[in-house]
Amino acid sequence: MNILAPQAALAAGVLGALGLGLFKRPPALYARALALAAPLAALWLLKSTLPGVMAPLVSADMKGLCWQVVIFAGALPLAFLSSGDDVEAALFLGSVLGMSLLAVAGNLIMLFVGLEFMSLPAYLLVARAGEGDPRLRLEAAVKYFFAGALGGALFLLGLALYYAETRTFGPTLAPLGLQGQAGAALMAAGALFKIGAVPLHWWLPDVYSAAAPEVTGFLATSMKAAAVLFLMRIVELAPNAAFASALPGLGALTALVGAFMALRQQRLQRLLAYLSLSHAGLLVIGVGAWAALGRAPAAAAALLFYLGADALMSNGSFAFLKASGVSTRAELRGYAARAPGAAAAFAVLLFALAGIPPTGGFVAELLIFWQAIHAGLAVPIVLGAVAAIVSLGYCLGLVRDLYFEEASGPAPVEGGAPARIAVLVCALGTLALGAAPLLLRGLTGSVWP
Amino acid sequence: MSELTFLWVLPLAGAAACLAAGAFGRRAAKVCALVFAAAFFVAALAALMPFIATHGVGLDAVGGAPLAFGVSYLLAADGLSLALILLTAFLNLICVISAWESDVSAAYWANFLALASALTGVFLARDLFLFYVFWEATLIPMFFIIGLWGSANRRHAAVKFFLFTFAGSVFMLLALIALVVAKHGQTGVWTWDLASLRGAPLGAAGPWIFLGLLLGFGVKIPVVPFHTWLPDAHTEAPAAGSVMLAGVMLKMGLYGLIRIALPLFPVYAQTWAPALAGLAALNAVYGALCAMAQTDLKRLVAYSSIAHLGFCLLGILSGAAQGVVGGGLQMINHGITTGALFLMVGFLYERAHKRGLADFGELANTAPWLSFFFGFSIFASIGLPGLNGFVGEFMCLSGISRSPIPMLDVPFFAVAGVVGVTLAAAYALPAYQAVFWAPKREGSVSGLVFDLNFREKAVLWALCGLMLWIGLAPAGWLALLEPSLRGLIQ
Repeated sequence: MNILAPQAALAAGVLGALGLGLFKRPPALYARALALAAPLAALWLLKSTLPGVMAPLVSADMKGLCWQVVIFAGALPLAFLSSGDDVEAALFLGSVLGMSLLAVAGNLIMLFVGLEFMSLPAYLLVARAGEGDPRLRLEAAVKYFFAGALGGALFLLGLALYYAETRTFGPTLAPLGLQGQAGAALMAAGALFKIGAVPLHWWLPDVYSAAAPEVTGFLATSMKAAAVLFLMRIVELAPNAAFASALPGLGALTALVGAFMALRQQRLQRLLAYLSLSHAGLLVIGVGAWAALGRAPAAAAALLFYLGADALMSNGSFAFLKASGVSTRAELRGYAARAPGAAAAFAVLLFALAGIPPTGGFVAELLIFWQAIHAGLAVPIVLGAVAAIVSLGYCLGLVRDLYFEEASGPAPVEGGAPARIAVLVCALGTLALGAAPLLLRGLTGSVWP
Repeated sequence: MSELTFLWVLPLAGAAACLAAGAFGRRAAKVCALVFAAAFFVAALAALMPFIATHGVGLDAVGGAPLAFGVSYLLAADGLSLALILLTAFLNLICVISAWESDVSAAYWANFLALASALTGVFLARDLFLFYVFWEATLIPMFFIIGLWGSANRRHAAVKFFLFTFAGSVFMLLALIALVVAKHGQTGVWTWDLASLRGAPLGAAGPWIFLGLLLGFGVKIPVVPFHTWLPDAHTEAPAAGSVMLAGVMLKMGLYGLIRIALPLFPVYAQTWAPALAGLAALNAVYGALCAMAQTDLKRLVAYSSIAHLGFCLLGILSGAAQGVVGGGLQMINHGITTGALFLMVGFLYERAHKRGLADFGELANTAPWLSFFFGFSIFASIGLPGLNGFVGEFMCLSGISRSPIPMLDVPFFAVAGVVGVTLAAAYALPAYQAVFWAPKREGSVSGLVFDLNFREKAVLWALCGLMLWIGLAPAGWLALLEPSLRGLIQ
């Protein structure tokens, strides 16, 4: 199978969604079906895609292929919950296409194309998708756009510096000089912007809390997975990328900032946004560990597992906001008495987000801790553990609101059956991932360790 | 399914069955809980049989093909594990019977059975990954038991309980990972198997790893100054929840110390022993002093747990056979005695909705049976000869005074222990007197307290009978504990 088959499926989906615009009143059913079918088809095609190279633009290694699985899987909840608007479907599929192009980029030019391709539709998606007052979303989208533009500019500047020294748009075997190091660091800054690592995180809480919950779920999972791979590609450029040694520290800082900032939040979506930031910090520590371990496949597998678990946990928790219509902690009080099933699923997701066994969130956190300790990153990982404790504090606070408090005030407006199904599926998947050592038994030796 | 897998799956299946039976009403769920709790107790007894038949030699171990990440499904039961599982199953059954009349939803019973399952897993696991998963899994049901069915300040207490334990166990997790990584550096194999992790080359990281383990277990025991979660959690939990908390969950910390920390770090176990024994002595004295200051009966019993666990810790750290086995026995004793006390405080609270020492008086007139059982348990708790507490405390103190570890055999620790014993009488007897014998004060609610019914008496007979049995003939219990404890510590 051609290595670009998944991308072709997504591109066909984009074109189809745009084609729906030819109808006077585009049928919502077709738009929904396209949004769901294209990523599913891409996933199916990915199954029979083997690693390969189409020099110089495309190079699909094992990492790129595996990452696409997580990217597509993370996008499915948004596809499932899409409003049926044809333009939104096209934007969504375009963004996913950009991510999958980024995953198989063979050189830095293609990487940049992938970056822009995934980002531009996402800005519009933030502004457009969702209900209620659009002004907040517009403001967030503009902020997101400027942050993205700044990140892109940093990347291009770094690319120029890197090219000036190495005369290549691809990886180099020779150790980098000062100019090349500066270039790599600037390109990494572009990637860290996308991940939302401190101090380049200022856009993230506003965007994540203003966008529609399901869109935020997409940004916090698929987009984050692509951004992490983006960062890893830059580490791979040279044998001595100096910026990599700063990653664990930045990651620990991000984890702490996210955890502590979430403490005071009353709006749930903003709280979950900071929690997502905290998780991004752990991922950055993981990338640092991966670099320090000589890019060990096991460390990459740990990152992949974390992103896979996050695709369930984060998507599920944001989908809960849509399903329940709950937006503040006050509205969450006593919710378990109103909707026991949804509350139980959200509680599972919260325990997973806090890294409590027996959930996939625990295994994911364990794997990152493990790789970091293996790489000798004792201080960052202890800070990461402190962030985990703080996160547990408010995750427990939310479970307490759910179960231990009395409901007061009118019941929030619920978001419909699809959202409830998404929450339930994500919660069950998270629980199943908790049995990962059992499920991944067959992979022992090949992927791990 | 092997017998050991069955042991932890049975109560978990019971939890699921209770939830399902909840659809047919609260009574169906209750009956279901009783059936599974009884079955679990019988299964735990049955697991003991081959052990007795072989005089403690036959260890039933479950292994299997290694899973991913170097994890393997390793279960084993030696005397220590079996004794603690039996305690879990026994107290779980007692809890179900004692809470029989309370009108609670199916989730209540399901949480207790899930808790019993996770606790059994903790005592069976010989793979550290598995151990950690079970360890943390115990927190979730207890969190809900405290938070949903506790008294006034339950929400705060539930979160505090979970957060404190987790804060300790995260560092324990980091320590366990560091241990696994160190072993991998030596052998090139990833393994979480406890037995094969011995002798890992730790280098400069050694003290930090040991410290991480101590933090995880110390919060759970709890060792002063990490004890502040305990009075809140024990006081706010419903009576049956306090029984499981004090009776079994506090033992998890000591069990972890005996099973993991001390055998893996024999050198630190000796060099750090004086400092740790100092903390244990502090526990025994400080816990007793705090208990003296309490005006709430339940809080008093909670603080007395801190003191009792100090004795256990002293015995275990002593490294002398007598002390270690005594510490193990005292773990069981404390579970039975404090379980009984918490139950009776619960009975009082059910009747009068008060727990203050000053709220009662002259109860011996109106509730003679309650007075009898309470006095019996109080005397067992403060170590009256002939009852179980005496045997355990005596062995702990005699062990510490003849400890082979340098610095531990100084009289200081034994003297601190004796002070603790004396203080125990000083807080327990006045409390007993105030509630049951002293004249009523104004505003007393003693009139509301009627005597125990048949069900309550049966439960307390079982507990007090055990106290007497261990007090008069501890040999069988010691034989159960001794081989495994000797093997682990020496």
